[in-house]
Amino acid sequence: MSTTHSRPGPEGPPPDGDLESRSVTMHDDPRFVELRSRLLRFVVPAGIGFLAWYLLYVLLSAYAGGFMSTKIVGSANVALFFGLLQFVSTFGIAILYSRYTNRRFDPLADELREELEGGPTVPGARKGEDA
Amino acid sequence: MITLAEESTNQERLITVILFAALIALTLGVTAWASRHTRSATDFHSGGRGFTGIQNGFAIGSDYMSAASFLGIAGTIALFGYDGFLYSIGFLVAWLVALLLVAELLRNSGRFTMADVVSYRMRQRPVRTAASVSTLTVSVFYLLAQMVGAGALIALLLGIEEGETYLGMSADTAKIVGIVVVGILMVTYVSFGGMTGTTWVQIIKAVILMVGALLVSLLVLAMYDFNFGSLMNDAAAASGRGDAFLEPGQRYGVEVAGDAWQTMVNKLDLISLGLALVLGTAGLPHILIRFYTVPDAKTARKSVNWAIGIIGTFYLLTLILGFGAAALVGHEAITAENSAGNTAAPQLAEAVGDHFGGDFWGAAMLAFIAAVAFAAILSTVAGLTIASSSSLAHDFYNSVLRKGKASEQEEVRVARFAAIGVGAVSIVLAVFAQDLNVAFLVALAFAIAASANLPTILLSLFWRRFNTTGAVAGIYGGLISSVGLVFFSPVVSGKGVDAEGNNLSLFPESVDFQWFPLENPGLVSIPIGLLCAIIGTLMSKESDDERFARLQVRALTGAGAERASSH
Repeated sequence: MSTTHSRPGPEGPPPDGDLESRSVTMHDDPRFVELRSRLLRFVVPAGIGFLAWYLLYVLLSAYAGGFMSTKIVGSANVALFFGLLQFVSTFGIAILYSRYTNRRFDPLADELREELEGGPTVPGARKGEDA
Repeated sequence: MITLAEESTNQERLITVILFAALIALTLGVTAWASRHTRSATDFHSGGRGFTGIQNGFAIGSDYMSAASFLGIAGTIALFGYDGFLYSIGFLVAWLVALLLVAELLRNSGRFTMADVVSYRMRQRPVRTAASVSTLTVSVFYLLAQMVGAGALIALLLGIEEGETYLGMSADTAKIVGIVVVGILMVTYVSFGGMTGTTWVQIIKAVILMVGALLVSLLVLAMYDFNFGSLMNDAAAASGRGDAFLEPGQRYGVEVAGDAWQTMVNKLDLISLGLALVLGTAGLPHILIRFYTVPDAKTARKSVNWAIGIIGTFYLLTLILGFGAAALVGHEAITAENSAGNTAAPQLAEAVGDHFGGDFWGAAMLAFIAAVAFAAILSTVAGLTIASSSSLAHDFYNSVLRKGKASEQEEVRVARFAAIGVGAVSIVLAVFAQDLNVAFLVALAFAIAASANLPTILLSLFWRRFNTTGAVAGIYGGLISSVGLVFFSPVVSGKGVDAEGNNLSLFPESVDFQWFPLENPGLVSIPIGLLCAIIGTLMSKESDDERFARLQVRALTGAGAERASSH
């Protein structure tokens, strides 16, 4: 496939002038601005949250040995529960993110994509089913 | 007490060798099948983009749960207790970065490699060259760590003692044979099977790894009537460290009595390692290219969710395996085999097999876990090889050398030869490095990925002003600072010797040019990488709002994203 664009080179988007110019217009469309802010509204607080939560865990492991070794049940100490809570929070954020995007992000993204590509896409091509 | 060498009868080795051979036959069969379905560049680099979320989730888990991670984390927990668990948590939490910020956007906007996204709105040649250099550096360092480990591991798993031979091989010959066999197999999977073959090899490995870890964990728990508390108590008592075994500070952030400076350095090193693990995962090239093997962004999200589930479960099992090895095999028996504890998991498998079924089942379990470890080595090195060869063929050969004029067939042919080249170089380097202490290379690979790759990927997706100079400066700045700082750190020279007289640095103990105290550069190199990207951007006037708009619309909506091939 040859390309007609001088700068983007071979791996730029396919030479579909229509899609490209529609995409540029779409970038300022209020619906796209809403789509981006829906993504960032979840990703930014969740990202800062889990990084801070993990950093707190590492800092406590490094500097608060006394607190971390406090026993809670039998020989199970704060450090063990704190570690297990990192698993819980990781699984939890992944589940919340998937539910959020299914409900709030995907429908709008699909709508905009179909509009940009000109009508619904061929289902067989998207799923990669063997012909 | 059980040591592998004492108990290694020829019967045990025979079972191990048979299982290894069966595994090789199975994976080569899959490769032969896959090679008939690999024609286009999309087939070779991305397996036709037809994998499901579950399949790709298992393959991602497989790429990630290398032998180093399976045997290494279990061994660290067995010898140092809690800190091995702490280490594994960084590896898990890291997946949230991939899930929230990278997987879907990369799938939508790129084609085959990380460079596709980073170079989308930049001048192609400089950015792709930089991304290719960084991809190769990360992959080859990671590959080297795995292959050197593989050689030693195969000799250990076959239980060949000093001065002894098996099938005509001494322990030293077995190491070299191990490295060469692993190298030839990974090149075969990749150059014939492409991404389709590599992915199925990875799925097979992930399934048997999970079965093996689950089986041994259940048997360990059964020995303790499913009372995790008493397993913990037993492990702490047998570890020789008492309660400290269950607390942080035995392996990372160690407090050195009377040496406030070293104590501070150790604690900063722990924080630096944690940062590199969490921010590095989503910048590892062999992980990133896996997101292209599914039909769309939603499936990429599903595959990361599966990967998080599999990897998280696996690390929870590793806690049981590590504590089990500490309690049932014992510190001395583990360190007698391998001072880093790499054989703790196979030794534990033998111990529980013995307990429940007698000698034969002990031998069978040992052989089974050895085969799992062997599969773990093979699948991770295959993933690293395809990441390197795709980047060499797609980014460097086609885009830089041929200015994008190479045909698909030509690109695939170059990729197959690139895999052979990468394999040959890795085999030679690994054979030369086999007696060196190269364990630090894995942490270094994560640090480079966190310093050079992740910032440039995120800035290109979200910072309108970001440009060619910034991307190039960010990649080289992060790469050079992380490699440079490690070069002048104690892991390369001047760390001295341990109590048993083993050299702790890469260079002989007589050489000492270290001045950077941290063994993990992330704490310094990640900010340097980010700063280089920002300063580089501001120093150049180039900026292209239109292409930024196109990239962002494509990344978020998926309009114009690459489709699955339909054959």
